[in-house]
Amino acid sequence: MYTHIFIIKSISMKKILMAGILVSCSTSLFAFCGFYVSKASGTLSNKTSQVILARDGRKTVVTMYNDFKGNIRDFAMVIPVPVLLQKKDIRVVEPGIFQRLNDYSSPRLVEYYDVNPCMPRVYEKDDLMSVQESVVMKSPKAAPTARGYGVTIEAQYLVGEYDILILGAKESSGLQRWLSDNGYKIPESAEEVLEPYIKSNLKFFVAKVNPKQATALNNGFLRPIQISFASEKFILPIRLGMANADGDQDLVIYGLTRRGRIECTNYRNIDIPSDRNIPLFVKKNFGAFYSNLFQHQWNNEGRNLAFLEYAWDITPINPMKCDPCVGNPPTQQELLTAGAWWLKQADWSDYSDPDMDLPDGNNQTFFTRMHVRYNRNDFPQDLAFQVTPNRNHYQARYIVTHPANGDLSCDEGRTYLRELKARRKKELRQLLSLTGTNMHNWQKDLLSSDAARHEPEIAYAHVADELKNETETEGQGAGMMAWVSALMIGSAGFLRWKGMI
Amino acid sequence: MQPFTPDARIFQVLFQSIFLIYGTVYLEWAQRSWLYAVYIATAIITQLICEAWLRKHIAKPWEARWWKLTLPGLPSALITAMGLCLFLQTNHTTIAIAAAMLGITAKYFIRIRGKHIFNPSALGIVAAVWLTGEAWVNPGQWGNGFVQFSGALILGIIVVTRVQKLDISLAFLFTYIAASFIRQVLYLQWPSDFFYQSVSTGTLLVFSFFMISDPKTTPDHPIARIIWGIMVGLLGFWLHSFEYINGAPVLALVLLQPFVPLFDMICRSSRFQWNRLPVQHVHAHIHH
Repeated sequence: MYTHIFIIKSISMKKILMAGILVSCSTSLFAFCGFYVSKASGTLSNKTSQVILARDGRKTVVTMYNDFKGNIRDFAMVIPVPVLLQKKDIRVVEPGIFQRLNDYSSPRLVEYYDVNPCMPRVYEKDDLMSVQESVVMKSPKAAPTARGYGVTIEAQYLVGEYDILILGAKESSGLQRWLSDNGYKIPESAEEVLEPYIKSNLKFFVAKVNPKQATALNNGFLRPIQISFASEKFILPIRLGMANADGDQDLVIYGLTRRGRIECTNYRNIDIPSDRNIPLFVKKNFGAFYSNLFQHQWNNEGRNLAFLEYAWDITPINPMKCDPCVGNPPTQQELLTAGAWWLKQADWSDYSDPDMDLPDGNNQTFFTRMHVRYNRNDFPQDLAFQVTPNRNHYQARYIVTHPANGDLSCDEGRTYLRELKARRKKELRQLLSLTGTNMHNWQKDLLSSDAARHEPEIAYAHVADELKNETETEGQGAGMMAWVSALMIGSAGFLRWKGMI
Repeated sequence: MQPFTPDARIFQVLFQSIFLIYGTVYLEWAQRSWLYAVYIATAIITQLICEAWLRKHIAKPWEARWWKLTLPGLPSALITAMGLCLFLQTNHTTIAIAAAMLGITAKYFIRIRGKHIFNPSALGIVAAVWLTGEAWVNPGQWGNGFVQFSGALILGIIVVTRVQKLDISLAFLFTYIAASFIRQVLYLQWPSDFFYQSVSTGTLLVFSFFMISDPKTTPDHPIARIIWGIMVGLLGFWLHSFEYINGAPVLALVLLQPFVPLFDMICRSSRFQWNRLPVQHVHAHIHH
């Protein structure tokens, strides 16, 4: 009865920006939890990073997306890690995995079609569109050697196209001098976090591109680095990444666990609003809609929090890995690539470590997608996580509905039109409250939306005009809380005065 | 036995309800509402059953006298339920029921010299999280705005009523905050907003003023109370900073509560009695 047609539309960055009036922040995918350093005097920025965290027991596998687009010889990266990594703990993986996980878990738009009540025929279909945030990225740089700075090179590996050093340091100024003397341009503000990291016994994972290996790379794309280690700490060091970032940075975290959702333990977690009916014209501009929505919710909720965008049980044997799907669910092989080592059955070799638990055949896998927009002021601490036993599914899903076609002059048809108008009013209100915009921002979309229809009174432009005349009441909640509190303090004082308590 | 007057525990329940409403409405814990009903219903029913059992030779539940004896104890069951609502998350009804039942029954049956050992909500939380593995606590759930809100509210009420005996809350809070300051700012040299973020969690505040402060599960002697508060603060800090345990103060509290009778033996003091105090306390307790 239902035909599901899944359309995945890529919305290019340019398009999002063209929808410009609405876009108050650029959403691009890339970067890292470490920071880029550079010899070049170009401005460095890493606005959106993607990272995969696979965690079970004490073991964590971290995969960091690399979308570096400059001269790869300029690439360099520094990440604090809790243990001294061995060569077998570091590998490079194919970059496609990030695209797969992103496509699969992106916020989605679902389309429904109304049935013409005057023509009793069933015709329904769902269309899907996912926010394909496109990718913008700028440069970094590097090259290292030596000692005499209180810095020890504890290990040195060549992994894939990367030269990797694991540094231990005694004090931050030495580390800073070492890095700058070896050609790493260190942002001044980085020292504020280097010292606490050193004192916490963290090691510094420094990667740059090995020129010889790099030439062998096809089309010059760098592959993501994946590291694995055992530690009670389940944190993502974002503070170092803030060092060279101006303003807000986006981070998309894909969590893979055996137990359930991951959540942030030192910041608030909330679900991004979902299952909302929004106007049909948003379909053309879903990317812009979502970035507005995100920005607005982020501001509205106080900024220092993490949003849940997707949570689903993707255990390989689970038949329903999404509903509806915007991208193919990741396969067992892809999940292994992403770091979910417990899915590996017999040949356990890559990550063998006496500390770590071996696969026990339990291949439960739960997927969480979190989206964090951070900056220095609102995020004084690195992100700390925990794995919870919460296996509830969640998805960011928005619904548009196509009106019925054809002749609507029968009685049911007229009722339908009345209802449609009321519904569209609701959709518009929803749109404005979700995105924190006003009707004026959507003027162009309103006019172009369904002007061709022959019932002008249900056109969005017309409904919007009516809506403008209605007054809106919002934001009374906080005032009410203040009143309740004042009342409580007052009554407590009164009772005390009367000697009752 | 106290008559059922609008005593200070009612204020504690009101406080906790306000926090719960704040959480549900502003912090969007909405998906958890069903849990609250389970905790509250289970706690009250368990309390009634325990009361019926313990008073079976004195009065029967169908007699008015029984209700007269039982009703004054109900606010403490509510306080236990509220404590669970504010901390413990789970997706399983059975675990929610078990946690509330365990907390309340332990209050009646795990006792030394007539004093119960464990704080009912803390015990329920610890058992659910660390024994079943299907429940969890998240200190991040409060965000940062909560501290300003609840801090002002708590302070306001304390100032106007002076119902709260603060010694143990302050001993704990001061120790925990001082230890965090020494480690994070003085030793690790994190900037001060890092430190503020870690001590401004709502969990710490709710714990200090509504959980550890229960006079029935803390030592009787004033000095012993302070020392014990400091011990909970230190253990909580250690579990949080070095063992990376979420909800560390609650675990520390439960781990240290078995030592309370020892403190009472060493520092003999007049047993805590509700009616001897000039003002009533805002605490969960039972009347036997």
